[in-house]
Amino acid sequence: MKRITIDPITRLEGHGKITIFLNEDGSVANTYLQIPELRGFEKFSEGRIAEDMPQITQRICGVCPEAHHMAATKALDDLFHVEPTSTAKKLRELLYSAFYVTDHTTHFYILAGPDFVMGPDAAPAERNILGVIAKVGLELGGAVINTRKQNHWIIQTVGGRPIHPCFGLPGGVSRAINEEERAKIEEIAKGSIEFAKLTLKVFDDVVLKNKTYLDMILSDTFTQKSYNMGLVDKNNKVNFYDGKVRVVGPDGKEFCKYAPREYLEHIAERVEPWTYLKFPYLKKVGWKGFVDGKDSGVYRATPLSRLNAADGMATPLAQEEYERMYSTLGGKPANYTLATHWARLIELLYAAERLLELSRDPEITSPNIRNIPTATPDEGVGIVEAPRGTLTHHYITDGKGVIKKCNLIVGTTNNHAPLFMSIKKAAKDLIKPGVKITEGLLNRIEMAWRPYDPCMSCATHALPGQLPLEVTIYDAQGNEVKKLSQGI
Amino acid sequence: MKTLVLGIGNPILSDDGAGIKVAHEAGGKLNDPQVTVAETSAAGLSLLDSIVGYDKVIIIDAIQTEKGRAGQIYRMGIEDFSLTKHFSSPHQINLATALELGKMLNLAMPQEITVFAVEAKDITSFSEKCTPEVEQAIPEVVKMVLQELDA
Repeated sequence: MKRITIDPITRLEGHGKITIFLNEDGSVANTYLQIPELRGFEKFSEGRIAEDMPQITQRICGVCPEAHHMAATKALDDLFHVEPTSTAKKLRELLYSAFYVTDHTTHFYILAGPDFVMGPDAAPAERNILGVIAKVGLELGGAVINTRKQNHWIIQTVGGRPIHPCFGLPGGVSRAINEEERAKIEEIAKGSIEFAKLTLKVFDDVVLKNKTYLDMILSDTFTQKSYNMGLVDKNNKVNFYDGKVRVVGPDGKEFCKYAPREYLEHIAERVEPWTYLKFPYLKKVGWKGFVDGKDSGVYRATPLSRLNAADGMATPLAQEEYERMYSTLGGKPANYTLATHWARLIELLYAAERLLELSRDPEITSPNIRNIPTATPDEGVGIVEAPRGTLTHHYITDGKGVIKKCNLIVGTTNNHAPLFMSIKKAAKDLIKPGVKITEGLLNRIEMAWRPYDPCMSCATHALPGQLPLEVTIYDAQGNEVKKLSQGI
Repeated sequence: MKTLVLGIGNPILSDDGAGIKVAHEAGGKLNDPQVTVAETSAAGLSLLDSIVGYDKVIIIDAIQTEKGRAGQIYRMGIEDFSLTKHFSSPHQINLATALELGKMLNLAMPQEITVFAVEAKDITSFSEKCTPEVEQAIPEVVKMVLQELDA
């Protein structure tokens, strides 16, 4: 029998690998997942001035720079023991809401949409945004581009620079907005709400009214009963920018709720020999392996987890959709991985509504945007919800604010274990003896991981646009049975 | 001819900063009001936003191919990556798809697009410097970009 070793020490190419080993009878023996991780950030940040971290860390990811910027800014508030002004907090949340509108829009139409709108068996040539727009119409396609463009304008205007804001400061932000800008933001927010409602309607028409998809969503293959993590405000409603981290069990009960500074009391990391990936888990439950359930410390941090971990949405239209989703799915918590796409659209609506609320806040154009810190810096933790999951920045500095140590837990990292488990389960359930391994089948395995939207953007924008995923299947003799590698 | 020279990359991820470094150097040598030099860490749809409205676009980025040698330089036209336009990436879409999308939606797309890509060795370690092989290629790519603008 040919022996194949998964050696994490070999050079990691810039893409993720799913490797599936088959038994003699053609059923799945084992599945392994490797995704590239960026290395050396701790070393890279040592000796740097903490106040630069919102600029530096936003460079980590070309897709969600605003998330890192915001987490870093909040870490600085904590580091310098300074409370931001009320207006500053609102401006930060306003920018962050606009960011969420762009991000969730992009995800649905480019990533999730193709799976559902075109279907998992559609030819690869059609299973992308071009196919989606051909199906839903040019007008909606134009609205996708426009909504993103307008919300990017908000980020640029409020944040001071396109894509990479120069905005967050310990105790506040760098610029205030005027009435003209505020009025334009308000108009954009109204349009974004309509767009979000339209998108939810597309999801309803294309996904929920299609029995095949609904069955897929509710199927055991795509179900995982892990703990759920998300940031909540003081009313336990979803909040992307601020609050406490709440963890709710697969039974729906609150397991813990912690302030940023307490994160190390609750989260530990597991190391496995076959991958560079680390697997965070809930310390107080313990690591029981790659299994779900109340007794396993594996937790998820995704849009669905956020909705599961909260008691509701803070805005009315999103709250209606939240209730509709849970009533369709049979109550809380919803453990259906594919429902993450639905949750993401409810968040899209919430972000747009929140944007409108904040644009109308009487304080939003106030010039009072900064409290200057006076305390000596030592240690600070900042947590926000990145679109891909709870994002934690932790800095330890000397008395001058120069970084001695830094620790980041990025959104996707929270989901390493559940991601792996979802893929493993889908592979096991879908690849059966006698069943022909088609591209559609492999695509369904990919559908198990797409809801997590794992962040590999930095490793993937090398031309000519490689899809950073390779799925390879080996038979019991170690011969390659099938390889799906898009773009390589 | 309204021209855009766009360096793409991540300036803190070793060789992934190659495109940005080239654009930066090229920009320092240019003095043409018709030519805009920009740097971006965006990809996919955001790229589309950057190139709309220009007649000619020169893009510079890092690349990783199966058999390439670190520091190797490629010059590509749009026809060279039409084969990949049907595939999507986890977050974004690749350049070819972005272009196709722009055309589909009747946006003002550039008529001429040229891509210079440098084969990268390391794009997963944090560093503001490129690896030596890539560092050496940068001035060569700058020359090629300037020549392209003269053409």
